[in-house]
Amino acid sequence: MSFLVLQNIKKSFGQTQVVKDFNMSIEKGEFVSFLGPSGCGKTTVLRMIAGFETPSDGAIVVNGKNQNKLKTNQRNIGMVFQAYALFPNMTVFDNVAFGLKIAGKPKEEIGARVKEMLKLISLDHLAERYPYQMSGGQQQRVALARALAPKPQVLLLDEPLSALDAKIRVSLREEIRQIQRQLGITTVFVTHDQEEALSISDRIVVMNAGRADQIGTPSEIYNRPATRFVASFVGTLNIIDATVVDPAANSVKMGDNLVTLREPIGGLKAGDKVSIALRPEAGSTLATAAGDTVLTGTVISSHFLGSVIRTKLDIGGNPISFDMFNSPDVVLPQAGETLSLRFMASDLLLVRE
Amino acid sequence: MKTSKILAWVALAIGLIYFFLPLIGTLEFSLRMRRGAYSMDAYQSVFSDVQFQQTFGFSMLMALLTIIFGMLLVVPTAYWVRLRLPQMRPVIEFITLMPLVIPAIVIVFGYLRLYNSSSWIPFTGSTQGTNVLLVFSYITLSLPYMYRSVDTAMRAIDVRTLTEAAEILGAKWPTILFRCIFPNVMSGVLSGAFITFAIVMGEFTMAALLNRPAFGPYLQLIGANRAYEPAALAVIAFAITWLSMGLLQLVSRFSKLAPSRP
Repeated sequence: MSFLVLQNIKKSFGQTQVVKDFNMSIEKGEFVSFLGPSGCGKTTVLRMIAGFETPSDGAIVVNGKNQNKLKTNQRNIGMVFQAYALFPNMTVFDNVAFGLKIAGKPKEEIGARVKEMLKLISLDHLAERYPYQMSGGQQQRVALARALAPKPQVLLLDEPLSALDAKIRVSLREEIRQIQRQLGITTVFVTHDQEEALSISDRIVVMNAGRADQIGTPSEIYNRPATRFVASFVGTLNIIDATVVDPAANSVKMGDNLVTLREPIGGLKAGDKVSIALRPEAGSTLATAAGDTVLTGTVISSHFLGSVIRTKLDIGGNPISFDMFNSPDVVLPQAGETLSLRFMASDLLLVRE
Repeated sequence: MKTSKILAWVALAIGLIYFFLPLIGTLEFSLRMRRGAYSMDAYQSVFSDVQFQQTFGFSMLMALLTIIFGMLLVVPTAYWVRLRLPQMRPVIEFITLMPLVIPAIVIVFGYLRLYNSSSWIPFTGSTQGTNVLLVFSYITLSLPYMYRSVDTAMRAIDVRTLTEAAEILGAKWPTILFRCIFPNVMSGVLSGAFITFAIVMGEFTMAALLNRPAFGPYLQLIGANRAYEPAALAVIAFAITWLSMGLLQLVSRFSKLAPSRP
């Protein structure tokens, strides 16, 4: 059995159902991210695991034990909050020692464990500082040490990086991942930042309107989005309207372009309208580029973005963006120019609603 | 200098004169007990008066008890309202503001009707009972200031997240309240305490009508029967208030160091 199991979790606030039949199994030592826009229910699921909210239905099982009847302070779960939530009246040492003192650990053990935790986050020299004397990144690292000190079964991270500036965010997320790997602690990370989720997770749960739209590895989520929502939320994606021509041959028509999809068009008939997704980085206009499929269209605009050049093509009334790497000899395509975009048929994804 | 600036200075000067001149006059008068020379005789007379010591001590004790029991009532209430019953905030605020609207004499007559010696709860039937009633009435009087100062301090910290952070680390309610919340709203608690202290030390109506030997009725008694001592007492009363206000300022300056937020 998995270490953390969420079985048919539902949660309603009054008449509004914010989590709808959520199922998930997380293995021991796994790093899972809940990704989704504001109000999709990701934080509510996290708060239910913590015990701050009670599920309207379903069960939360950690290490084979149902947590539903347990209070927050009985669950042995660690949590890092978006707003740090360090106790302002306590020093860094006392903050980290708090959980251990509550658990009634001997003084020597507390001292040793706090030192170990502070060393882990490389802040052992700031043990006597107060939270207000530290930067946001340092405070969040202390919050992480505080959460880990009592050796929790599960670590919950509620958008811990969103209050930090971009540079610190990147370095701290790598640090969090490294510490998580080192300790092998089962971790649930909530974020609305797809880059964060893609870069540090073993698996990602993309949530939409209280449901898990897709659960998969970062690569699966990015390359094989299961729904139109996942496709549009994770990364930049072109959604092209197409018409099924021959379901048996998997062929669809986009404007004047007839293309054959790799994945089978099950259950559709000729003339049905479908959505096809294509990543901007998948195609190339170079004649030498590898690819078994070609789409031809007219350039709408072209923008120089530093490392890449983003060009918008009109293909059968669909505006499609594609990126090419910048190099000194690349010439910017001009509006009105006709271009052929070459890519692999496997890059075209049939998107279901 | 612009005319508006001159007018502002004139307005300020008028205000300062209006406020300080009577005070300076009182101070000067309190030093003139000895004929033809300034002296501290009035103060000496006041401080050596046994009744002064008794009433001052009694009021100090009442103030201390008011602060302790008032805070034990106000801090958990403000905390609970912020955490679990935010929709009740306007109601609680309205209730705490009532003592500002209802005159003290009305409140004390209400108490006397409710808690007289022939009532169900005869607080006024004994000296200790009356003292308890006096503390309750002082708590009522200081509610607007105590609640507001504590509530403002709670607004400065993220009460909900701090509570959740403590809870997930295994803490129970008493620990959360006394180790995580109380120390972080100490500036508000102390501000409320100093205002309460100043109010209780000078309060007359409640103490006089409940017939307790407090400092307020003593001030009135001396004022009616002596010449120089009332002026000395007025200066002492002002000094107490100013000391409280000074400590309040000091506490709020320290409290600026406390919050840690993103």
